[in-house]
Amino acid sequence: MATVREKGYSHWDGRLCERRFPWWPITRTGIQLAFRKKRFKVLFAGAFIPAFVFLVGLYISERLEDFKTIIQGSDRLLNIGPKYFSTYFANGGLLFLIVLVLAFGAGGLIADDLKHNSLQLYFSRPLGKKDYLLGKMSVVGFFVLVFTAVPGLVLIIFKLIFAGSFKFFLQYPWLPLSVLGFSALLTVFLAFYILLLSALSKNSRYVFILIFGTYIFSNVAFGILQSIFRTPYMALFSIPVNLQQVGAFVFGQKPPHNVPAVWSFAVLAAICGLSAAVLDRKIRSVEVIK
Amino acid sequence: MSVAPSFGQVLGFFAFLGRRTGKTRVFAILGLMPVALAVIVRIVLHGRAGLMAAVFTDILMVFFLQFYIVILALFYGSSVTAEEVENRTLSYLLTRPIPKPAIVLGKYAAYSLLMFAMVSLSLALSYFIMNAARLGDPALYLTFLGYLGVLGLGILAYTAFFTFLGTLLKRAIIVGLVFGFGWENVIQYFPGSTQRFSIVHYLKSLLPYRPMSGGGRGVALLLFRLEPTAPLTAVLMLAVITAVLLALACWIFRTKEYLTED
Amino acid sequence: MTAVIAASNLSKWYGNVLGLNDVSLEIEEGITGLLGPNGAGKSTFMKLITGQMKPAIGTVTVRGRRAWNSPEVFRGIGFCPEQDVFYDELTGWEFLTGLLRFYGYAKSEIGDRAARALDIVDLAKDKDRLIRGYSRGMRQRIKFAQAIAHDPGILILDEPLSGLDPLGKRKLIRLIKEFRSQGRTVLVSSHVLPEIEALTSRIVLIHQGKILAQGDIPYIRELIEAHPHQISVRSSEPRTLAARFVGDPSIQKMTFASDGRTLIVETHKRDEFFGRLTGVVLEAGIEVEEITSPDDNLQAVFEYLVGK
Repeated sequence: MATVREKGYSHWDGRLCERRFPWWPITRTGIQLAFRKKRFKVLFAGAFIPAFVFLVGLYISERLEDFKTIIQGSDRLLNIGPKYFSTYFANGGLLFLIVLVLAFGAGGLIADDLKHNSLQLYFSRPLGKKDYLLGKMSVVGFFVLVFTAVPGLVLIIFKLIFAGSFKFFLQYPWLPLSVLGFSALLTVFLAFYILLLSALSKNSRYVFILIFGTYIFSNVAFGILQSIFRTPYMALFSIPVNLQQVGAFVFGQKPPHNVPAVWSFAVLAAICGLSAAVLDRKIRSVEVIK
Repeated sequence: MSVAPSFGQVLGFFAFLGRRTGKTRVFAILGLMPVALAVIVRIVLHGRAGLMAAVFTDILMVFFLQFYIVILALFYGSSVTAEEVENRTLSYLLTRPIPKPAIVLGKYAAYSLLMFAMVSLSLALSYFIMNAARLGDPALYLTFLGYLGVLGLGILAYTAFFTFLGTLLKRAIIVGLVFGFGWENVIQYFPGSTQRFSIVHYLKSLLPYRPMSGGGRGVALLLFRLEPTAPLTAVLMLAVITAVLLALACWIFRTKEYLTED
Repeated sequence: MTAVIAASNLSKWYGNVLGLNDVSLEIEEGITGLLGPNGAGKSTFMKLITGQMKPAIGTVTVRGRRAWNSPEVFRGIGFCPEQDVFYDELTGWEFLTGLLRFYGYAKSEIGDRAARALDIVDLAKDKDRLIRGYSRGMRQRIKFAQAIAHDPGILILDEPLSGLDPLGKRKLIRLIKEFRSQGRTVLVSSHVLPEIEALTSRIVLIHQGKILAQGDIPYIRELIEAHPHQISVRSSEPRTLAARFVGDPSIQKMTFASDGRTLIVETHKRDEFFGRLTGVVLEAGIEVEEITSPDDNLQAVFEYLVGK
């Protein structure tokens, strides 16, 4: 039998160079696909409203004299400090909008792959499970950071510009770190949260309801349990409240509920752990049909 | 071809199919939450019937009326058409000798029955656990039937609305969420006739409002800021809303083409 | 013969894209193959026939009735879609019996029909397994079963052989031919030429939304005047034969095959060539081993028509 060489094949003596960031194409495609959805751009733009409102607040705080006749008691309301930033990051409205954006834009990240049996396509490339998950998480990370870290740092910069001095920064030098730290925490949690629910079904419409419904339901459950048992520890049942507790801690503020922030960290970490376990089980290159 | 016999055939098929899906199991488990809560509350508040009754009316009914039936109706209602289009199984239905309206009405009815079964079970268990001390009181059963009727009408009306949305829009879920958890929650606190532009207004107008004999405020919390419509008018309005939306859904489904992603 | 399916000036747009372009054709009883590459408009045409889409312009009727919003028409039509989709939570049996309910049959009749259809497609022993667990071929067969379970007079099959192994394909082809012998009408679409050739000689060629040709393969071939016929003659003296024909004005081109014994001639006047060939062979005393027409087949016809 003729050797391979004689048949025209030849061995390649080079070295296979792996991409430095093999997960990057997954991230890039995930973001592009989100923006292709018709109403997503509107929702994305709308989610910047809280940032805009707080930016206006920053401006007004520097021009209080001009607005004094309009806003009464404004010096208390617009006292710009860590509390102002904590209010921005941990306000229910922003968190709700971010979850809505993620439910719409990132809900199908794994669900669509399961529906179209694409996992085999991914894993037949030089791509590991970690790269796949990192790529998908980075899509969530992009959207979360764009509404948290970016506006947070922009708010700090504009504060300095409007004030015309670095006094604010010298007063609170750790503030940018808090902004980045909370943004990172939020990113990690929401990445695990979104991917966990996305991996539970092939139907992206059902995943949308799961993401949104679980978020709302956790708050409803907190309200119900709080009314019955009248203990602040019921706040641990609510995802948005736990995020607010953690946010207050990161910005050095008093948490909204009388529960140590470490408990909220633990709850969020437990959800991340559950998500990791489910994702490890669900993301396989071979589907076993029984 | 008459719609009536086909309606029954479609109802039977999708009632069977709906019971099988994993999503039904998840929603049924969600409905067990108030039951679990009822058991916990019963243990914690043992002997305090008035308080338990208050917990049911002030908390659990809010859960049922403003969360559970809305989320159920949103998912199942929008699924009537969207599910067939997304899963590309619409061709199996369109190439049978059944009128298109029968498909919409049959699926709507099947899913409504399924939802009613889940809600009934959850409501019955949580209600009677919470009111276990008063099982000999006939008024209790009347009140239960009142609540069940309200939730049943709510399921019919909300599912009809989301069915209509699902036949009209490709991404009905977002609009449905905004309506179900945005509009319905906000508009009911508006004064005058504005409240009447919501489904929940008519449902709340039908709630059995009487102070519980063991104490408690009845459904006072749910009726906060409510300017109720007369019960008969409320039932009529809900029936009209349901009928009109279903008719529109049938008409849209009959005239619209649904292109699947091939 | 009266047309079972008739399309008249049928056109369909998808936004700005023309899916079907002024199609007029009649499909009679028997098996008709709808042949075209992917994206040619085959599925669009089938969806219009089966009432899943509404024509933008023109009409399409099945036994004289329009398919759009006419559910009664489907008593006599069985449709096998191209997509590999099902109600996955159901078993094969539940899927078939569930869909048979829509015809208003009694429960016992539903069971009989489902059992018969499963026997035909050889899935009787797997009827209680979830469709989700079926192989690709089994899924294709259950799809076919749901199309035939109600004994329709017209079968519309969109790529029915895709996903089947060679044995499965042969079996299904035999089955389809049996349907034809029972007097039913079958419209089969495919982009795989040998599949269509195995099923029928009556074809409709479609490309870019237009009907390129319709009829028997040889008939269509005759119509393609622009393309010369190829005739291959294997003999002991191909060059002598070539020399005799080189001056013939009806011969467009002559080539020699790589075996060194075959002369391939291209001519517009096939009958005239055959007439002259007999005379030349006798005159020159050449021993002819074989005469064939290499392009008298669907592949060649198709390639000519789509301009490849």
